[in-house]
Amino acid sequence: MRVLGVDTSTMMATCAVLDGEKLLGEYSLNQDMSHSESLVPMIKEMLDSLNLQVSDIDLYGVSLGPGSFTGLRIGIATVKSFAHVFNKPIIGVSTLEGLAFNLAHGGTIVPMIDARRNRVYTGIYKWEKGRLINILKPSIKEMEELLELLNKDYDNIMVNGNGALLHKEKIEDSLKGKVRLSPISLNSCRAASIAELALLNRHGENQYNYYNLVPEYLRESQAQRELRKRES
Amino acid sequence: MVRIVLKGLKETKEFGEKLGGLLEGGDLLSLTGDLGAGKTTLTKSIGVGLGVSDYITSPTFTLINEYKGRVWLYHFDVYRLEDEEDLLDLGYEDYFYSNGVTIVEWGDKIEEILPANRININIEKGKELDERIITLSGQGDRYDKIVKELNIN
Repeated sequence: MRVLGVDTSTMMATCAVLDGEKLLGEYSLNQDMSHSESLVPMIKEMLDSLNLQVSDIDLYGVSLGPGSFTGLRIGIATVKSFAHVFNKPIIGVSTLEGLAFNLAHGGTIVPMIDARRNRVYTGIYKWEKGRLINILKPSIKEMEELLELLNKDYDNIMVNGNGALLHKEKIEDSLKGKVRLSPISLNSCRAASIAELALLNRHGENQYNYYNLVPEYLRESQAQRELRKRES
Repeated sequence: MVRIVLKGLKETKEFGEKLGGLLEGGDLLSLTGDLGAGKTTLTKSIGVGLGVSDYITSPTFTLINEYKGRVWLYHFDVYRLEDEEDLLDLGYEDYFYSNGVTIVEWGDKIEEILPANRININIEKGKELDERIITLSGQGDRYDKIVKELNIN
């Protein structure tokens, strides 16, 4: 089974092809928000180099979010159009789970995606018996709130994602010896992880088709926004 | 806060072009002022200073117009928006925190979601014909630097 994975939820545009459990290719570019121009040519270049065609893909995996509004729409629209043409299933993957899945770390895994204004989209994950378990549901958090929570309840933490890079100093100052930043190669969204999660979850609940797949922006609720307005 | 009196269209145009010349990617300008005060006209001059060659028109109906200049110019008009929710559906954060320059007309309507580091520009009509009174305020290094480089007085 060949799986095409795509993630454009951050500045990193990334696509990968798996053939079963074998990674055939991965192509990632971290540049300006030009996904709309680069994603399809990237996929084409990768498939061409592998002598594959879109029709050879059996399953699609795509990041559903959280992340950049425009980025998510581009990735999802692209995958939907490919899946539509050959009527293939799509598995939606949380961007945060994808990031956490990059890290084979024995302790606590905390991916962070920059949500601007000193906030990150984050979740807490752990590996248990070979499976990645979600402990804190994906949510939007102020850095201070997140660091306080991590300091209180967690140890042996590894962080990744563009939010972790952006707030590196704050994280290290606050959590000191408890935290490590992931290696660079595992710090960003990787389409290979998205594709593998799609493969693993292909019989699970996140099955979609080109028609019903929608992004998960993970916005603040109306109530949260009202509260923030009152507090500011 | 800086107050500038611009006597006539020519001075207003020159001010806009000079300001546009000083702007860098990542800057955000919030424009306020009554209908007809000249927000879009000022944006046109800022666009010239940014090296935009396209004809800049009001984004009142389109909500966002994008122009390629020395850096990208994203021109918003949020007058018609009901609330923050509408702006979320435009993916505004990808613009406000981009490497381009963002100009938001009626920025005061969405003040709570504008980045703290920004340049506020209020335009009023003066007593004389075509006289405009500009009030600059803002926060952050870029605001300080721009005010300094505008070299007003």
